[in-house]
Amino acid sequence: MTHVLVVDDDPVIADLVAFRLGRMGLEVSVERDGEAGLAAARQLRPDLVVLDWMMPRMNGLEVCRALREDDDAGLARTPVLLLTAKAQEPDLERGFAAGATDFVAKPFSTRELVSRVTAALPPGSVVA
Amino acid sequence: MNVPLAPVLLAGAAVTGLVVVLLCAVATAHLLRGRRRARDVQRKRELTPLVHALLDDDPADGAPRADVVGAHADLDAIVLELLPQLRGTDRQVLRQVLAERGVVPRAVADLSARKSWRRGRAVTLLGSAAGTDHLAAMAALLDDRSPEVRCAAARALGKAGDPAAVAPLLRATRGGTGLPHGVVGMALLDLGAAALPALRDALTASRGNARELVAELLGVHGDASATAALEGLLRDAAEDLPVRRAAATALGRIGSPTSTEPLVAALTNSPDHRLQRAAAEALGRVGDPVATVPLLAGLAAPDVAVRSVCADALARLGGEGRTALQEVAGGTGAAAPVARAALDELLAGPRRPEPAGAR
Repeated sequence: MTHVLVVDDDPVIADLVAFRLGRMGLEVSVERDGEAGLAAARQLRPDLVVLDWMMPRMNGLEVCRALREDDDAGLARTPVLLLTAKAQEPDLERGFAAGATDFVAKPFSTRELVSRVTAALPPGSVVA
Repeated sequence: MNVPLAPVLLAGAAVTGLVVVLLCAVATAHLLRGRRRARDVQRKRELTPLVHALLDDDPADGAPRADVVGAHADLDAIVLELLPQLRGTDRQVLRQVLAERGVVPRAVADLSARKSWRRGRAVTLLGSAAGTDHLAAMAALLDDRSPEVRCAAARALGKAGDPAAVAPLLRATRGGTGLPHGVVGMALLDLGAAALPALRDALTASRGNARELVAELLGVHGDASATAALEGLLRDAAEDLPVRRAAATALGRIGSPTSTEPLVAALTNSPDHRLQRAAAEALGRVGDPVATVPLLAGLAAPDVAVRSVCADALARLGGEGRTALQEVAGGTGAAAPVARAALDELLAGPRRPEPAGAR
């Protein structure tokens, strides 16, 4: 089953994203800060990480960079979708430079999120 | 001295009894509060998926919607918490839910409540929940007798997202009871790019404080369509200085090479040091090497802050500006220290992005 890791310190958003991705037939894990998110990514080896930018302990860019520099080549290639209020042009540059695969700007649309998650995963990953 | 034993014992027992009763009361209150909190958490846990499922519904598939009208009042809090995080169809769905549950009509009625906290709460809720409806009623609270309600109304108008709020928001900056620029500015920014045409119109239609704020906001938006109008304001020597300064800063943020000429003129001809600084900083942002010579001349300005900003601007101009700055830094004139400081900052500080026009 395709596994998505959602890392967001706002439970309102994390729960909604988890619910919506769950309805797509994906297995979803949720973490509330960057450090826990990175640890979970190393342990769970998800197929996709949906990552907030501004988080306590480790921010989303730091997590993204750490993933890209991970010794595990598979984990280093994991698609990362930044779900963030920081989506101005310079933010996009910094995000992509850190290794983000794509962005979803907050306030966000769940329909857009679903489309971008589907596009970031390998074909056939989404069954519902 | 002999004290009778019985009254002492009785008093002791009474005090102990009182303490025990108090402790029991505190423990009971604590227990009840804990149970209430647990019940609230449980209810939220049950209601949240209901709201999530509403967002998941495809309006086209004809499936029956979850019963939102009869759900517990806590559902409103969940919806209001989610609303600012979402946009598009999701936001419409949640607004519809609040309308169906009567939250919006109740808030509209509360706009004229006697207590100011109720008016403030009502207008805040309408800003999140009602979209562009009730704009006039919300805007009327910009003249409320309570300053807190006036601020709440401004924020709510920003959240509501209707560009028609630009004019009443700018009017609210006028007069002795006018709203703080920060509050109105944030509200106008919340309106997003949709407000740009109205802001451009306001640049010529407004006066004084409001015009200064509009110039500032057009710069924050980086609105290239406003370049000519802002250049006109900067050139106009009869215009208020704060407006001209805001125009210069905005032109720097927009970054069009056409602005180099009026910015150079402001730097060279204005007797106002603050306008000179704004112009020099903007020239650095625009990054047109044509500004090298006037910025070099600015290094001889009597005001040390102007000299410093000119040196920083030269450092941002790319190779040509930096070479000129190095020559000055190697000399012994009054400009040498600021030139050295700018070069040191360039080497030691965080890398500054190259301006668009730097070659």
